[in-house]
Amino acid sequence: MTETLSPPNVGVAARAVDASKVYGSGEAEVRALNNISVAFQTARLTAIMGPSGSGKSTLLHCMAGLDRLTSGQIYLGDTDISHASEKELTLIRRDKLGFIFQAYNLIPTLNALENMTLPMSLAGTKPDPAWLDTIVQTVRLGDRLKHRPSELSGGQQQRVAVGRALLSRPEIVFADEPTGNLDSRSGAEILTFMRKAVDDLGQTIVMVTHDPIAAGYADRVVFLADGAIVDELADPNADSVLDKMKSLGA
Amino acid sequence: MWKVTVKGILSKKVRFLLTGIAVMLGVAFISGTFVLTATISNTFDGLFSDIYQHTDAVVRAKETFSGNFGSGRGTISADLIPTVRKAPGVALADGTVQGLAIIVDKKGDALGSNGQGAPTFGFAYIPDRQLSTIHVVEGRGPRTPNEVVIDKKSADDAGYKLGDTVPVVTKAGRNDYTLTGIVKFGTADSPLGATIAAFTPPTASRLLGTPGQVDSIDVKADPGVTQDEVVANIRTALKGAPETANVEVISGTDITKESQNDLKDNLSFFNTFLLIFGVVALLVGSFIIFNTFSIIVAQRSRELALLRAIGAGQRQVLGSVLFEAVLVGLTASVVGFVAGIFLAGGLKALLGALGLDIPASSIVIPASAVIWSFVTGLVVTVIAAVAPALRASRIPPIAAMRDSSVDRSSTSPRRAVIGGVVSVLGLALLLLGLFGNSGLIYVGVGMAVVFLGVAILGPMIASPLSGALGIPIEKIKGITGSIARENAQRNPKRTSATAAALMIGVALVGLITVFGASARKSVDVALDRSMKADYVITSPGFGQGSIPLEAQRQLAALPNVQLASGIRSGQAKIEGSVEQVIAADPTKIDSLFDLQPTHGKISQLTPNGIAVLDTVASDNNWKVGQHVPLEFAQTGKQEFTVETIYKQTGFTNYVITTDAYERNFRDQFDFQVYVNAKGGVTPANTAAIKKVMHQFPGPKVQTRDEYKASQAAQINQFLNLVYVLLFFAIVIALFGIANTLGLSIIERRHELGLLRAVGMTRRQLRSSVRWESVIIALLGTLLGLVIGVVFAWAMVKALHDQGIEQFSLAAPQLLVIVILAAVFGVIAAAWPARRAAKLDVLRSIES
Repeated sequence: MTETLSPPNVGVAARAVDASKVYGSGEAEVRALNNISVAFQTARLTAIMGPSGSGKSTLLHCMAGLDRLTSGQIYLGDTDISHASEKELTLIRRDKLGFIFQAYNLIPTLNALENMTLPMSLAGTKPDPAWLDTIVQTVRLGDRLKHRPSELSGGQQQRVAVGRALLSRPEIVFADEPTGNLDSRSGAEILTFMRKAVDDLGQTIVMVTHDPIAAGYADRVVFLADGAIVDELADPNADSVLDKMKSLGA
Repeated sequence: MWKVTVKGILSKKVRFLLTGIAVMLGVAFISGTFVLTATISNTFDGLFSDIYQHTDAVVRAKETFSGNFGSGRGTISADLIPTVRKAPGVALADGTVQGLAIIVDKKGDALGSNGQGAPTFGFAYIPDRQLSTIHVVEGRGPRTPNEVVIDKKSADDAGYKLGDTVPVVTKAGRNDYTLTGIVKFGTADSPLGATIAAFTPPTASRLLGTPGQVDSIDVKADPGVTQDEVVANIRTALKGAPETANVEVISGTDITKESQNDLKDNLSFFNTFLLIFGVVALLVGSFIIFNTFSIIVAQRSRELALLRAIGAGQRQVLGSVLFEAVLVGLTASVVGFVAGIFLAGGLKALLGALGLDIPASSIVIPASAVIWSFVTGLVVTVIAAVAPALRASRIPPIAAMRDSSVDRSSTSPRRAVIGGVVSVLGLALLLLGLFGNSGLIYVGVGMAVVFLGVAILGPMIASPLSGALGIPIEKIKGITGSIARENAQRNPKRTSATAAALMIGVALVGLITVFGASARKSVDVALDRSMKADYVITSPGFGQGSIPLEAQRQLAALPNVQLASGIRSGQAKIEGSVEQVIAADPTKIDSLFDLQPTHGKISQLTPNGIAVLDTVASDNNWKVGQHVPLEFAQTGKQEFTVETIYKQTGFTNYVITTDAYERNFRDQFDFQVYVNAKGGVTPANTAAIKKVMHQFPGPKVQTRDEYKASQAAQINQFLNLVYVLLFFAIVIALFGIANTLGLSIIERRHELGLLRAVGMTRRQLRSSVRWESVIIALLGTLLGLVIGVVFAWAMVKALHDQGIEQFSLAAPQLLVIVILAAVFGVIAAAWPARRAAKLDVLRSIES
């Protein structure tokens, strides 16, 4: 990891600088990200929206060290991760980041508690019992800890995933369509927990979604189209997001 | 539909290859065995045609019984030679004599007969080239009693030149002869590595046979006289001649065919021995095929359901899976067959390295190799794929709309009942084979059925057992160990089928390990109990004596030797079967070897008496005083009386006196000589004995302890051969583990991607795959060892009468097997672990 030359950005958990991601070359070249620069504030829930192929998932994956930029930098805090080795990225993901995916979120052979503590187990550390208690209460899983994923509903599984993402006190949590596979009630529940984590626990969360209702829970919405940021909205609600989407013609 | 199948195979080349390897290795073994035995057989066919190419008729004694090494035939009177010569149509006729003659090289070592090497022949030299199988290529034939000719290879090896003095050991002792000629055998320097020393016919009779007797009379017919005509003429001429009741005349063509067929009979045993390992390999392979196809069908259930949904019939789905099996079987058979041709060379080298040197000329590929390769390869693959194919055809179209769920089912009362019944049935067959008179085929089938039964029960025990095995791993490795353990447990059917393949190989390894240890211990205990001699001198080779009696006389004359006495070994037909009979000097054997008599005394055994092992006596219902006829090759039926019954096993079942042996056997060699010396084993005594035996090179001089160790070493040598052959089955099972893990990884790529995304390092991921493999390997090994020990125990009990009285668990060796299994597990996981670690995190999650 190389130290950044620019002064530290107070209150910014992660940012992308001139980030570009190109797939293929020549005629078949696709620019998934086109010179994007964006910052995500600490202790805020930021939503990234955009139509299919706008580059929102690519941005999230690159921010999270799951994918690499073609050019530009990604900073986590003050650390430039764009040139980190595969192994360094793995350790960053394990120790500093949390993830919530749309599906396939849990390891089927581990029970709910084991799934939640998985990143810490991989690091060979133990969660602080008080903090574990707080998280378990936040996601309301107290009576389900010994159950395997196949014995949990979709909403419960996603709550475990949220618990896992929060448990290691990551600097930032990335969520990729966290409510995409859930019915509206379970979805609302998950979003409420995420909101609570930001408000009560000071967690930073970046969430990709295409659902205006989900985006309505965020502090700020960033709109992407064709690999570039086209607009953004502060303190949104579902209606304002929908209006903005209409105006963008998405 | 075919198009879908073929495209499916082409897109999964590695899987196709791995599945095929299991069958391929088994087929290679079978094809290699047939090629090897055909090659050996062809070599001998050529040799026999060569030997008898000028022989039109042979006059010889009728066979008393068919023993090993042609010892079941007596000699005929040399007086018949003139009679045969006078028969019409006979151009040439002469007597042949063959016996044992060891050529001593310039350093004083024996040529050729090191251990289980090629035989050392002594011949009567027949000057007429057309009758003789050997002909002089340098110098001339022997003319006086102290002249000899030897084969070119021996002369070259030892550096002997014409005119040199060559010591030769025969039953008359060691004597020096002048080398007058070098001979070739047909066109060969030496017949397949055997050594030849040939003397004048009278000398040969004295040194090798019985004076006035010949082994056979070889006849060459006049030109224009057919073999059948000359045979008929000789028969007529012999009618009325004395001593011809036991004489037969056969044509040259018939004796060639007879020799070739005799050899094929001997080879068929060898062939069967090797084929057993090929069948084991295929049995292991069939488990892997079954497992692979089961996994493939499970993974493709959505795709197959989709095919059904858009109109494919059940039969088409069934056909498509079976068609894939046929392709796998066919490809594997072709590759395996070709690999087998190369393997034949390897098998030959392996047997050679372990002391069974087999001659072979250019490779022969018999039709049987082609047929069996394809039949076994194809049939095994298709049969193993039937059950998965049926399951595939039963996938309902609706499954296309459902999430495929992991099959965790393992326990059903039906499975328990069927598995239990099959296991018990197998065990019953095995015991029937071991303790009844039903024979070895029951033992083999019984074992196979037990394997099947345990494999059926497997899924019920796989989960708890691998869970238990995983506990220490989880303790040591933390979360990676825990994931490994859970993964090994998550699909019991798959884990158990994978482990079952290894189980078979390990069970057989465990069986022979425990059985071998038991045999070693039994021999050890028996020798401790019975062997009182300080020194044992043993003939090289299997069961045939080659120590001249002179050796024993000289040993007995040594000042420090209290007692030296030899035992001789021969074959006789007793109660319908050919048995080994040991002859000993009754006045001396008691103080050298304790037979532990229960009735009568060995020392009082008379020349017409026989001592019998107690279990043999009770099997035949013999008591002391019972008359037992023994049929000898040389002298026919002779009446003996049971005078002693003894219980010392592991020596022999029948003991007669040396007097009786001399009356009834032609060759008089000691098989072993036992020596008791003043002061026991001392360097001086050893030196004195070795000095005497130096004159008679070949036999080994050993102290009692050395002898005991060498008996154990013999057992070990056999064990090693079996280990190497079983290694094939183990290797196949390892491919099975690699294959299953590889397929599981494809199936689990989402969760592997997730693990990587939340921070599992590649090293941790590799480690967890490796430990999963170790758990599966240990599961198969433990099941295998339990079965192997039970089999070995049953075998030891069954062979109690044969002298295997002790059961030894061989715990250290079994522990080594367990450790090796864990190591093999790591090796098998190498490729799947790498593959898992290489998975692209993003694509794994997204796809």
